[in-house]
Amino acid sequence: MKPYWQRSRIYLLASVLLVMAMLLTACPAPAPSGAPAEKAAPAEEAAPAEEAAPAEEVAMEDYINAPREDTIIFDIDGGRVTDPENWNPYTPGRRLDQGYHQAILEPLFILNYQTGEFIPWLGESMEPNETLDVWTLKLRDGVHWSDGEPFNADDVVFTVNMLKANAPELAGSSEMDRWVESVEKVDDLTVVFNLTEPNPRFLLDHFGVKIWGSINIVPEHIWKDVDPLTFKYYDPEKGWPVGTGPYKLASVSPTEFTYVRDDNWWGAQVGFQDLPPAKKLIWTWAGPEETRAALMADGQLDSLMDITLGALLALKARNPNVVTWFDDLPYAWVPDPCSRTFELNNAIEPWNDPEMRWALNYAIDRDQIVEIAYEGTTFKSRHFFPAYPPLDALVDKAIEAGVWDLDQLWEHNPDKAKEIIESKGYTLNSNGYYEKDGKELSLEITTHEAFIEKQRIAQVIVEQLQAIGINATNRNEAGGTWSENFDFGRFEARVGWQTCGSVNEPWASLDTFNVRWLKPIGERANHNRWRWSGPAAEEYSKLVDEMGSLPLGDPRVEELFVQAMDLWFDELPVIPITQAKKIIPFDTTYWTGWPTAENDYIHPPTWWQHTHYIIHQLKKAGQ
Amino acid sequence: MAGLTPQYVLRRLGMFLLTIWLGATIIFIIPRLAPGDPVAAMVSRLTAQAGYIENSAEIIAAWRERFGLDGPLWVQYLAYMRNMLTLDMGYSLSSFPSRVDEMIFSALPWTVGLLSVSTILSFLAGNAIGALMGWPRVPRWIRALLPTSLTFTSIPFFMLGILLVYLFAYELRWLPPTGAYGRGLTPGWNWPFIKSVIEHGILPVLSIVVTSMGFWALGMRGMIITNQGEDYMILAEAKGLRPSRIFLRYGVRNSILPQVTALALSLGGIAGGSTLVEYIFAYPGMGYLLYQGIVNTDYTLIQGIVFMLILGTATAVLILDLLLPVLDPRISYER
Repeated sequence: MKPYWQRSRIYLLASVLLVMAMLLTACPAPAPSGAPAEKAAPAEEAAPAEEAAPAEEVAMEDYINAPREDTIIFDIDGGRVTDPENWNPYTPGRRLDQGYHQAILEPLFILNYQTGEFIPWLGESMEPNETLDVWTLKLRDGVHWSDGEPFNADDVVFTVNMLKANAPELAGSSEMDRWVESVEKVDDLTVVFNLTEPNPRFLLDHFGVKIWGSINIVPEHIWKDVDPLTFKYYDPEKGWPVGTGPYKLASVSPTEFTYVRDDNWWGAQVGFQDLPPAKKLIWTWAGPEETRAALMADGQLDSLMDITLGALLALKARNPNVVTWFDDLPYAWVPDPCSRTFELNNAIEPWNDPEMRWALNYAIDRDQIVEIAYEGTTFKSRHFFPAYPPLDALVDKAIEAGVWDLDQLWEHNPDKAKEIIESKGYTLNSNGYYEKDGKELSLEITTHEAFIEKQRIAQVIVEQLQAIGINATNRNEAGGTWSENFDFGRFEARVGWQTCGSVNEPWASLDTFNVRWLKPIGERANHNRWRWSGPAAEEYSKLVDEMGSLPLGDPRVEELFVQAMDLWFDELPVIPITQAKKIIPFDTTYWTGWPTAENDYIHPPTWWQHTHYIIHQLKKAGQ
Repeated sequence: MAGLTPQYVLRRLGMFLLTIWLGATIIFIIPRLAPGDPVAAMVSRLTAQAGYIENSAEIIAAWRERFGLDGPLWVQYLAYMRNMLTLDMGYSLSSFPSRVDEMIFSALPWTVGLLSVSTILSFLAGNAIGALMGWPRVPRWIRALLPTSLTFTSIPFFMLGILLVYLFAYELRWLPPTGAYGRGLTPGWNWPFIKSVIEHGILPVLSIVVTSMGFWALGMRGMIITNQGEDYMILAEAKGLRPSRIFLRYGVRNSILPQVTALALSLGGIAGGSTLVEYIFAYPGMGYLLYQGIVNTDYTLIQGIVFMLILGTATAVLILDLLLPVLDPRISYER
């Protein structure tokens, strides 16, 4: 007779399942192995504080448990952070918008879009010489890193040289390599940059948070012994990442990052600014828009990044404390620096003909795009510049001079469009589309799969072009593919934002059309990927080159600009459509003092590095 | 054990290794066939954040060289096979210098925990419902109630997920809407953390269980009905055994076998995660990681995750094949 355990197969089966279940439940065990690093963080916070003073040790441990009223909770928009332990600010896969450059890494200067001025932060001043090829940076006295070491010229010189040595792989390195011949320390607070050629925009482009961020300085005493390409700069026991900001990293997870205030912050010690009011900052990724809006409706998020109008209205109905840049339509912060443009490949038939490009322009109804694609939350563009006051002033001059005809640009005239097309020899076929030599007039408009705003614009344009007889279609491409195709010129049309660059001076955006960047289709180009060429383009480029060497604000810039626009307008290599919008809601239940159009002390996007300034301006609600 | 011969086991192991090799080769080839370049994707993300960058062409060329992407394909393949044999999955192309195995192992426990619990719960619930639906002696009111419990099966689980978030998190505020655990808790074997994980896990698990129960239920119901006509059932009734005993020991036990096979297969595949559930509930699992890998054309990440999937499924099937004779002595591999 067989033993009982063999007779009863169900018991054998049960034991097998039990073993499998044990193996499966053993799997979550690795989660706690991530825990020692994270558990160590709040415990180890006490360690650096102990070096300072026992009283502070108590304070900082408390901050991790700070109540909601002392905490500001921000939203991460750039997708889930795939590696929460990578704090290297230079590798291309790095994230800075999870709180890293908003709370820990401070910039040298902050460009304030509302005033057009630089706010000195870690730097006090950065002035060029007369020929614009030697820049002298004066650092603020008394700045120190969160581990107590002083922040001074050694760190700046080290960082710039490290970037140059590792160009072009690190972010920011090719810029430093291209422009900086050498960088010297004059004394602890003075650094001299010797440029390879005159550059009036050296401070603006690299150290002033022109758009989103800037080149971050790292401590020499930590980075001098590591390989900057593979160094992850994360070690809670050592207090890494070390920055100069008023907050230190407390805990990480793929969906949430917590920072606690460092009461030892240099700024309060030298009288630069008071300590910021919040004891704890959290950046969290909460998935789709519905959940994020639900969290803010419930008072669990103080700042959201870009949501749709529908979500905003639902949110405001639930939580009346939510404010946005404008109180009313368009609600959104308009504009974001990168205006939306309908871009054509100027090297393929028939779009290499400026008249055909103008025909497209007449077929497009921008008011309808604003109404349908944006639900009214933006303005149509007068120019491919973002509508910031310094640039608006230039556009006004071009309009006054008669070279930029706004009525013509904004004219929605399908009949005129058809006339132009027919004058080129096209005739309508039985499908209702234009045809010439047996080829149908078609246009494929590609868009980046992650950006709904541009897809909506493309969809409306497709309808408008179809209505006049062009077989237009829209296709989404994965981001990397879309960029690749752009670089190589393998596209017909796209809705993008690639004229981006200028925010307070014209050259950066104008240079994106410069023929010096021209490469044939099939070769990778850095700029002028629309492959605009021809005599007008060449003349335009000469004007732009001249403009590039003039100091910012030089009166000759305006003259050159008007002449350049004269040439550009007739050619229309790219069709400006709308200003970029970002609906940025803030909850005033716990914190007030957020930037709005009424209280426009600075521009609002809290995923940019100038958030340092905003954090200091906030007050607890009820104060 | 009855039914297993040494030749069979050896042959079976050989098949296992062949499957893994074939799968690894296919996963090497396919991402490289798709358009798009991982380095360009990485640089385009940089550009999207910062507005514009200079010299993107030079950056791309330098990183392609560093990653060995500019070498001939067969050289890359050999390096890849060598790495897979040592389970060294290398650096992620899109999140350099993060290592693929670190990224996977931090996401894996969440996925395995979430999906194994969901799969097993849905297996148990679904089979129970299916068995009760198929058995003729079940009281009529139960049999009328059961089909309604399967109504939600036809709703896609991500929609049900959003509905659940709206109902339980937004309106009723009984459960948290997002995340794997509450804010400010330290992961580890401590009760507040575990309680929070369970609380945060209820809605995602529910959305998967409710929508996939139907699959198990229908299969089980079919098997139960088929087995009712068997001779041994008639004999059992004739012997006068209790109806519950006939139901469980004769009905369910014989019908469960194909379901267990399906369970093993689905457990093997859970390492792939459930992208949409993870996106809606901001759950830090493998599904979303794989999605990001695909969108960024991150060859090493895709290869790492899919290789794990292949390994998991092949191992699950291997174990199952070796265990089946234990479960059902009628199965024999002798020829």
